[in-house]
Amino acid sequence: MNTASLYDSLHPLEVQVLAALSQSGEARSDDALAQTCQLDLSQISMAVGWLSAKALLCVESETRTVTVVLTEIGETYAMDGAPLEWIVDSIKSATQSATPISVKDLQTNERFQPTEISRAIGVLKKELAIRLVAGGYLELTGVSSPTLQSLKRLLHQLRATTQDLQEFQEFEQQILRQFSVKRGNTHEPFRFEEHIERRYALTDEGKTVGGLCQSSPIEEVSQLTPEMLKDGSWRDKRFRKYTINLSPPRVASGRRHPYRAFLDLVKRRLVGMGFQEMRGPLVETEFWDMDALFMPQFHPARDIHDVYFVKNPSHADHIPEPFLSHVSEAHEHGGSTGSTGWGYQYDRDRARRLVLRSQGTAVSARTLASNPDVPGKYFSIARCFRYDQVDATHATDFFQVEGIVLGNDIHFRTLLGLLTLFAKEMAQARESRFLPAYFPFTEPSVELHVRHPQLGWMELGGAGLLRPEVTNPLGVTVPVIAWGLGLDRMAMVALGVHDIRDLFSSDLEKVRNMRGTF
Amino acid sequence: MPTISIYHKDFEQLVGREVTIEDIETWLSLVKGELKDHTPATGEIRVELQDSNRPDLWGIEGIARQIRMALSDAMPSSYAFFSSRARPKRRVMVSAGMEQVRPFLAAACASGYAVTADGLTQLIQAQEKLADIFGRKRSTISIGLYRLEAIQFPVTYGLVQPHAASFVPLGFEEKLTLQDILSVHPKGMEYGHILEGQESLPLLWDKEGQVLSFPPIINSRDVGQVQVGDSQLLIEVTGTDLRMVILALNIFAVNLADRGATIDPVEVLYPYATEFGKTIRMPFDFSSPQRVPLHAIESALGLPLGTDVIKQALTAYGYEVKASRHQLSVRLPPYRNDLLHAVDVAEDVAISRGYESFAPEMPVQFTVGSLSPLEETSDLIRDYMVGCGFQEMFSNILMAREDLVDRMKLTDPNEGHVVEVDNVMSQHYSCLRSWIIPSLLQIESASNRAFYPHRLFEVGEVAIPDLSQELGSQTLVRLGALVANPAANFSEVHTYLDLLLYYFVRPYTLEPMQHHSFMPGRVGKILSQERTLGFIGELHPEVLEAWQISMPVAVFELDVGELTREG
Repeated sequence: MNTASLYDSLHPLEVQVLAALSQSGEARSDDALAQTCQLDLSQISMAVGWLSAKALLCVESETRTVTVVLTEIGETYAMDGAPLEWIVDSIKSATQSATPISVKDLQTNERFQPTEISRAIGVLKKELAIRLVAGGYLELTGVSSPTLQSLKRLLHQLRATTQDLQEFQEFEQQILRQFSVKRGNTHEPFRFEEHIERRYALTDEGKTVGGLCQSSPIEEVSQLTPEMLKDGSWRDKRFRKYTINLSPPRVASGRRHPYRAFLDLVKRRLVGMGFQEMRGPLVETEFWDMDALFMPQFHPARDIHDVYFVKNPSHADHIPEPFLSHVSEAHEHGGSTGSTGWGYQYDRDRARRLVLRSQGTAVSARTLASNPDVPGKYFSIARCFRYDQVDATHATDFFQVEGIVLGNDIHFRTLLGLLTLFAKEMAQARESRFLPAYFPFTEPSVELHVRHPQLGWMELGGAGLLRPEVTNPLGVTVPVIAWGLGLDRMAMVALGVHDIRDLFSSDLEKVRNMRGTF
Repeated sequence: MPTISIYHKDFEQLVGREVTIEDIETWLSLVKGELKDHTPATGEIRVELQDSNRPDLWGIEGIARQIRMALSDAMPSSYAFFSSRARPKRRVMVSAGMEQVRPFLAAACASGYAVTADGLTQLIQAQEKLADIFGRKRSTISIGLYRLEAIQFPVTYGLVQPHAASFVPLGFEEKLTLQDILSVHPKGMEYGHILEGQESLPLLWDKEGQVLSFPPIINSRDVGQVQVGDSQLLIEVTGTDLRMVILALNIFAVNLADRGATIDPVEVLYPYATEFGKTIRMPFDFSSPQRVPLHAIESALGLPLGTDVIKQALTAYGYEVKASRHQLSVRLPPYRNDLLHAVDVAEDVAISRGYESFAPEMPVQFTVGSLSPLEETSDLIRDYMVGCGFQEMFSNILMAREDLVDRMKLTDPNEGHVVEVDNVMSQHYSCLRSWIIPSLLQIESASNRAFYPHRLFEVGEVAIPDLSQELGSQTLVRLGALVANPAANFSEVHTYLDLLLYYFVRPYTLEPMQHHSFMPGRVGKILSQERTLGFIGELHPEVLEAWQISMPVAVFELDVGELTREG
């Protein structure tokens, strides 16, 4: 990196430190720098760290100083006397009151621990200040203890101020060492604190960059403000360059639901292929949901265990004519549809029974009965309900994408043509396969299997030509394709979802994290 | 529709050649079957059959038959027993009164085929699937199989008092009366409801007074338990629909004939008139020739195939066909009864020729695609909400009453009307939502660990009970919006609502209202041009407590239809 760009990348703290060093021309300590730059030590330490890493600055000298401070124990010794002093005083007052005192007596006190007492007695005996006499009693010899004297003075002195170890005389240093906190023994009056003072100097490159810092009259700022723009003062400022590859803070964004976005795409594609959207009610009559689709009322899939029935009201007011009569005739004997019909007694009350829409084709049935366009293409993305146990592959309610195509050119081969188009548009599949299928309302019926670029062979949907028993009673005389697509698996794979319930998840975090390309 | 088990070796025998699993998979398109599972060790192949109108395919014999015909491209087996003229020596007499209970019976005998283990498995499977699915859990048909040697003809199908007859049913060691069977036998308990309200019950007994069975409940253990090695069988079907009863018998007869049995017809004598007379020789071929114009098939398939090609295709699919230049006369084999319309014949032509032989052709007529006005408005609103930083949500709309009503504090009888399900499977999914806010609260309740702020919305359907509507309810599209954060309040959501209605050019006013889900004095109706568009407010702390939400929540809900231009 060249000098100029190195300079550009400097943080304002770095610039200040470099300028200070450059100006003084000699090595400076942290403390000195803090004073010169009027910054906190922590800021200096950050800047020094960054500058060392950039090799603009180096440590010129390192001075190790040890200072002595009083510990909490030291504070009490200074105030109330150290054990040495206390022992001498105790023996003195015992002698005066003619009640000799033993080592054991001394050890049973409340101020000091027995070990402190033993150690103090050891020092006093060694310095011949006390002696042991018959009966295990102690008495003063009259000799004064140099340790006691020095300790007393040092405690007093250090209570006021801390001091460098080096500033003490040799014998004082010995005493300080003897009574200082050490590993394994913290119950001491003194503590040594080691302090390393480093002095920093500029490297050669640092001198060059430092020169720039010193000479640069431009103030460095991090944020452009409206005031700067107003008064043009931004021209005199330098804007710090950012470290741009840090993670940004998180934001709660607005976003379409990913599954809904998938269905939007489906919707767009269908409109692009010339389909009009249809809509229908969530609550349907059995008539539109099933009868109009030529599912006989005795059909096994019309059981109480297949469809949700509505409680109240349980039946619709009426079914519009002439549809009811025409459908009823088609079921019973075919009516004018050219069919033999199912040959049973059609129950008109049952036709009024209200259910939760069980198939999207109900929407198509209503469209057929409302004078649809010919030629015409229609689709719906309809919420449907099935009486199923909810599990990883069954949701309480789900979407069916389905529709119809009406026209004079509709026949089995144009049905296959439409499905080929769906394969390409909906699954980007170039290969497709048609298998015979069964739906109560279509004949012939087809299952569409496609080779999806990622999923391999999969069933994409079902379709067929609506039976005349469906179209004629609803007033439609042209052939009609009915189709339905199963797209949820594609959506689930694209979104990395393995449980269909997750498409309707109540977990906000899960929805925010869900993503995929369709 | 049924999923059945077939066995590889058995299948090869019935088709008459060696076949691979791939062959089977390909051929299954002839019968609308899907291979579900294959266990090479046992040779078991699980197949799902789609066509609910083709019970003849719900067994290995029927599947093999359809494939055999396609392979030989020839006339189907003729099953001469349908057309023999000789009067059967065995008879079943139907008693008067049966027409009130379970009117129809069909029966036939099979001999000369010693039942194999595979054969027995298939007999039992066919019996179960036909009675369960085709016969709707035995209510319209049920089937009995018997050891013929133990039976003295004629057999009587008549009525007896529940306590007047007793026999040892399958699965029991001692005699039970019919009444006891209904109350203690597992099958009696399962199927007894079919005979509910009947004073006397159907029973089948022979010349010696020996009970064969108690239809549709249970067979006698003594004569009604077929075993491997038996070579003389009686098959009997009873039910409420004569054609279905005969069809089921015909299917059993051809299945056993395919395995090498000789079918001996039985004469069934009714004291009352039936569609086919008072005396019916069973099995009985009731199919009649249907005239189908050539153009009906050609226009449905979109290909001028010509009568010859169509005749050949149908023949290879089991039909009997007579063709003239523009007209076909087709007759289904006696084991099928699913020809309702010419389109059914068209499909069989397509299946027989193979769907792959039809070249797809793109429909070319011009149409204009469009979204409904409601959907267009929904999309505009969704764009706006996303732009305001709201996360779109998408919920199930079948919910618990507790969530829609109780937790929302709408327990007053005038509030909290919802569309309820009658046959509830789970209380969690017993009502259609009548507003969006409970869906959003459900999310809020499950997402207290999700990064804040929470701004959620959904544009979705709700069902509003309304007895003035034809369907007793109305499906509406609503926008629900919710903000939750430590400072969420009325003013925050009002900001978004205000701007939304500005963009939709809807001048509005807010009118204070009473709504128990909200804090009093902090909820209002959104009014525009004398119509109510929705409501806005801060949720009541009791509602938040009920949902275990520990954040202030403010919401609004708008009817999308009200913002939609008249289409």
